[in-house]
Amino acid sequence: MFKILAACGAGVNSSHQIKDALETEMSNRGYDVQADAVMVKDITEDMLKDYDLFTPIAATDLGFTPSCPVVDAGPILYRMPAMAKPVYDQVEQAIKDSGKA
Amino acid sequence: MSGIIDFANAIFKPLIDLGAAPMMLIVLTIIALIFRVKFSKALEGGIKLAIALTAISAVIGLLTTAFQDALNAFVKSTGIQLSVTDLGWAPLATITWGSPYTLFFLLVMVIVNIVMIVLNKTNTLDVDIFDIWHLAFVGLLAMFFGANLLITTILVIFIGVLKIINSDLMKPTFNDLLHAPASNPMTTTHMNYMMNPIIMVFDKLFDVIFPWLDKFDFDAAALNKKIGFWGSKFAIGIYLGIFIGLLSHQGVKEIFTLSFTAAFCLELFSLIGSWFIAAVEPLSQGITDFANKKLKGRTMNVGLDWPFIAGRAEIWAAANVLAPIMLLEALVLPGNKILPLGGIIAMGVTPALLVVTRGKIIRMIVIGAIELPLFLWAGTLSAPMVTETAKKLGAFPKGLASGTMISHSTMEGPVEKFLAYLVGNASTGQIKFVLYAALALIAYLLIFIWYAKQMKKRNKVYADEAAAKAAK
Repeated sequence: MFKILAACGAGVNSSHQIKDALETEMSNRGYDVQADAVMVKDITEDMLKDYDLFTPIAATDLGFTPSCPVVDAGPILYRMPAMAKPVYDQVEQAIKDSGKA
Repeated sequence: MSGIIDFANAIFKPLIDLGAAPMMLIVLTIIALIFRVKFSKALEGGIKLAIALTAISAVIGLLTTAFQDALNAFVKSTGIQLSVTDLGWAPLATITWGSPYTLFFLLVMVIVNIVMIVLNKTNTLDVDIFDIWHLAFVGLLAMFFGANLLITTILVIFIGVLKIINSDLMKPTFNDLLHAPASNPMTTTHMNYMMNPIIMVFDKLFDVIFPWLDKFDFDAAALNKKIGFWGSKFAIGIYLGIFIGLLSHQGVKEIFTLSFTAAFCLELFSLIGSWFIAAVEPLSQGITDFANKKLKGRTMNVGLDWPFIAGRAEIWAAANVLAPIMLLEALVLPGNKILPLGGIIAMGVTPALLVVTRGKIIRMIVIGAIELPLFLWAGTLSAPMVTETAKKLGAFPKGLASGTMISHSTMEGPVEKFLAYLVGNASTGQIKFVLYAALALIAYLLIFIWYAKQMKKRNKVYADEAAAKAAK
């Protein structure tokens, strides 16, 4: 299973939209993906070690360099499929690169 | 006329009598269907909303019941009259979405947004449907204080238009804060940024009086990393349980119970909040599709919820530092009745500080400390309305003391709540309030116009810099 961490301000709105969209789209593309949504401020280095990909809305300063790849997932929130597609493609590439495809 | 009213009553009264959760299930499902959402998705959203309303009511009941005796003892032993429990944003959002007026204000603002786009008065399409609740809350508050639906709708449109204009004004600053190109479409109409004009007044004063303080700006990300889980929701619940438990002279066992209860309630509020955002999701997508169709593919900026800049560490560093400051202020602030709990990490305060100061952390903290009393007073002012609405939802256990109230300490839009109070009371015909409301609305508009001019100057500098870069 490929694990993704989404994050936003309260960990309930934007990050959940990203989580749901990624799980749905990656499942449609045939990948076994699980995404979690949290508050940006609650992310620690230890927490990120449990994930294969970090998908914030935009550039995020965590105070440390994430140990996993990062894909900015903000365009998913525009609710326009054409704008979300490049994000999905990047996530799919990250899954392939991880060897968990 | 009476025939129409009788007809409306015949249709709507049985619906209202069902209670908030079943009523909103039906209303949300129907509205989503109107926006051509598939029936199964529309119904799923309606059911999720009903479940979220029921769940949030249950957790409010748990928290207020667990803390009632301790808070009474706290007041007796300390003499501090902080009788309003701060539940944070999620219960208030759910309560607000439990009113059909919220859907009405949403439809009004969708139309206003499309009209402004067509008339070229904005370049922002607001897809943050969920956060209409901040504006709807102001409307409900105005109605609570006496405004009729027409006056309330005018107030909602007035503030809503300024919010949309503000999203355009802030756009280049967001690009700067995100190090994003001009093609980045992300902006926001979020209510918390309506504090920008007042913050900018203080920022300009800071420029004159304390510019040397900027030298002491520290690494916000490093501070957040050190704080780690100690600033998390459940940790805050634990602190508050210990704080109230000790000051109310509870036993060790009771203090543990209070701490764990506060911690799990704060966690559950967020969890339930996410259900209820999921409930509105099909409608949000339906409205966005509808608006895109009407706008025939015109390229524009997209209004999102505020956290696309949550990756800026200053937001959290300022919120962490402001939390104990707010607690101290709450204890001594005349007129305040809220003991900060669920809203103590001031997410409704710090994003606007970031935008105006552009990340100068000392300014964010100093100006934040100065403006926090406005939030505490606005939360206190809103408490009777929030409490009454929660009671209607059945969120209040029967055994609670009549004086027990709930609210939110750092809810977005404190100034707009004062406007709602004045406009509501003015609508009842009190001449004094008519005068106050008129003066307040004029002052609100004038300070916004001044702020808009400052932002346009800032945006011109951004544009000039970009042009100079392109010319190289």
